[in-house]
Amino acid sequence: MVVDPREAAREAPLIGAGGPGETAGAPIRQASLWQDALRRYMRNRGALIAGSVFILLLAFCIFAPIFSPYDANDADYTQTYQSPSAAHPFGTDQAGRDLLTRAALGGRVSIGIGFAATLTILLIGVAYGSVSGFIGGKLDNGLMRFLDALYGLPYLPFAIITLAIFGTVNFWTMVVALSVASWFTAARIVRGQVITLKENDYVRAAKAVGARWHRVLTRHLLPNTLGILIIAVFLELPGVILGEAFLSFIGLGINPPDASWGSMAQDGYQAYRVYPHIIVVPSVCIAILILCANFVADGLRDALDPRTRET
Amino acid sequence: MTKFVLRRLVWSIPVILLVILLTFTMMKQIGGNPFRHTERAVPESIQNNLERKFHLNDPWYLQYVEYVKNVFTFDLGPSMVLRNRTVNDIVKEQFPRSIELGALAMAFALLVGVPLGALAALKQNSAVDYGAMVAANLGFAIPSFLVATLLIYFVSLKWGLLPTSGWSSWEYKILPTIALGLGPMAYFARLARGSMLETLQQDYVRTAKAKGLRWRRIVTLHVLRNSLIPVVTAAGPLLGFLITGSFIVETIFAIPGIGKYYVTAVSARDYSVTMGLTVILALIIVLANLVVDILYGVLDPRTREART
Repeated sequence: MVVDPREAAREAPLIGAGGPGETAGAPIRQASLWQDALRRYMRNRGALIAGSVFILLLAFCIFAPIFSPYDANDADYTQTYQSPSAAHPFGTDQAGRDLLTRAALGGRVSIGIGFAATLTILLIGVAYGSVSGFIGGKLDNGLMRFLDALYGLPYLPFAIITLAIFGTVNFWTMVVALSVASWFTAARIVRGQVITLKENDYVRAAKAVGARWHRVLTRHLLPNTLGILIIAVFLELPGVILGEAFLSFIGLGINPPDASWGSMAQDGYQAYRVYPHIIVVPSVCIAILILCANFVADGLRDALDPRTRET
Repeated sequence: MTKFVLRRLVWSIPVILLVILLTFTMMKQIGGNPFRHTERAVPESIQNNLERKFHLNDPWYLQYVEYVKNVFTFDLGPSMVLRNRTVNDIVKEQFPRSIELGALAMAFALLVGVPLGALAALKQNSAVDYGAMVAANLGFAIPSFLVATLLIYFVSLKWGLLPTSGWSSWEYKILPTIALGLGPMAYFARLARGSMLETLQQDYVRTAKAKGLRWRRIVTLHVLRNSLIPVVTAAGPLLGFLITGSFIVETIFAIPGIGKYYVTAVSARDYSVTMGLTVILALIIVLANLVVDILYGVLDPRTREART
C-alpha cells in the first residue's frame, strides 16, 4: 500500500511520544492521548514499581550472563548442590552450575518464548477478530460461533499434542504449541473493539469521503485498537510463561543444556527434598515476572482504556 | 426459559462434534502407525488384522465417523501401550480421584477466596485489604509446582505433620487440595473484591442505608447476594486452570488420577489414551461452559437472547 507522506506524518505521533516538535498540522488530540496515558501510568505507584522491576528483571537476564564469572552451561562436579553463598549467591545445581547465571539464561528463553508466543496470539487474534468485527453480518456470526466451539479446547493438552506433531521441542515449536489454543480471547477482544470503533463518526466520515475498506481498517480501526493490544500483551504473558513452565516441568521443555525457568524447576524437582533452593530460584523468577505483568497490565488499563478513563 | 435451555443444549451438539473433529485431526497429524515398527516383530497377517480392527486403512472421514460413534457409546478404544487395558478402564479407575481433587480444590478456593475478597472490599484501603490483596496476588503468581514442593518440604518432611504423597484417607488430601486450590482462591478473592466494591456503590445500597437498615443486614441481603453472581459464574472458565494444575499437582503428590496419567501417556506416546483423555477434558469444558451459560440465563434474564 502506498503511504501518503502527509498521512504518515499525521499517524506518527500515535506511536511516538508525540513531542512538541511534530510536523505542523499534526492533530494535538492524538499526541496528548499517549502523553496523558503516560502521565496517568506514572502516577500509579504500584504499576510504576512493577514496571521498574520488570525492566530490572529483563536487564538481569540480558546482562548477568555477560558479566558473570561462570559459564551457565559449564558443569563443575566439585561444586554440586551448593547452598547460596558469596561465591554463588543463588547456589549451584546438580551439575555444579551457578544458578544465578543459569537463572538469567533461563529467563532469556522463558521471556523470549513468552513474548514471541504472546505476539503470535495477538497477531492471530487481530486477524480473526478484525475480519469478524469489520465485515460483520453472517460471516461475523459464523466466525463467532466457531470461536465459541473452540473455547471447548483444553489448552495444555493441545499444546502437548502440537509438540508431539512437531516431534522436537525448540524455541519456535514451543511458541507455536503455546499459541495454538490460546488466541480465542484475544480475537474476541479485538472484535469487540473494532465493532465499537466502527460506529464512530470519524470512521463514518472516512467512509463518506470514499475511503476504501482496507484503508478504514488499517488507518482508523487497527491503530485505535493498539492501546487494548498493549494491555493484552501483559494480560496474556503470565499465562504463556506459566504454560511454558508447565510443559517444561512435565518433561516437554527445551532440550538441555539449554534451559528455561520451567526446565530449571524440573531439575530442582528431582532434588527438592534435600536441596529445595534449586526449585525455588526459577519459580520465584516466574512469580516475580507474573506479579509484575499483572500490575503493569492493571496500570496500563487505567492509563489507556477509554472506558475506565473517567473514573 | 425452557426454550433457552433447549436451544443451548442443541447448540452444544455441533460444538462437541467440532471439538472431537479438531482433536481427531490434530492426533492424526502425529502420524505413524502404532502397530508397525514396534519392538516386538508382529507377523504381516496379524498386522493387517490389527489395522483392519482399528480401521487404520479407512479414509479419515470414515475413521472420524467411527470414532464419534464410539465416543457417543462411551467406548474410547484400547490403550496402545498397555495392551490389556482400554481407555475406558483408565477413565473409570482414575477419573473419580481427579474429580474429587478438583471438587475439593474448588471448594477450598470458594470458601477461602470469596470471604477474603468480601472482607477486603468491606474494609477497603485498610491493612486487611492490603494484606488480602498481597496474598491474592502472590497466590496467583506462584506456580503450583513451587507451592506443592514447598508444602511437602515443610509440612511433611520438616514438621512431619502430613503424608508426602498418595491418595487414601483425608490426611493425604489436604496438601494437594491447597496446592491446586491456591491459584483459583486468589482469583476468586480478587474477583469478589472487585464485584463487592462495585455493588457497594449501587443506588439500592444507599437506599437501604437511608431507610435505616442495619449494616450487617445490608451486606448479607443486598451486597453479598448481588456481587456473588459474577463470582459463581466465573467458576466455569476456572476449570481449565484446575485441569492444568492437576497435571502438575497429581504428578508431584503421586495421585493416580487423570492428570498424572495424561503426563505418563504423553511420554509413553500412548496416542489412543492421550486422545481419549483430551476428548474427555474437552467435553468437560464444553459442559461447564453450557452450565455457566444456563446459570447466567437463570440469574440474569437479559442475557438469554444474546447467548443462544
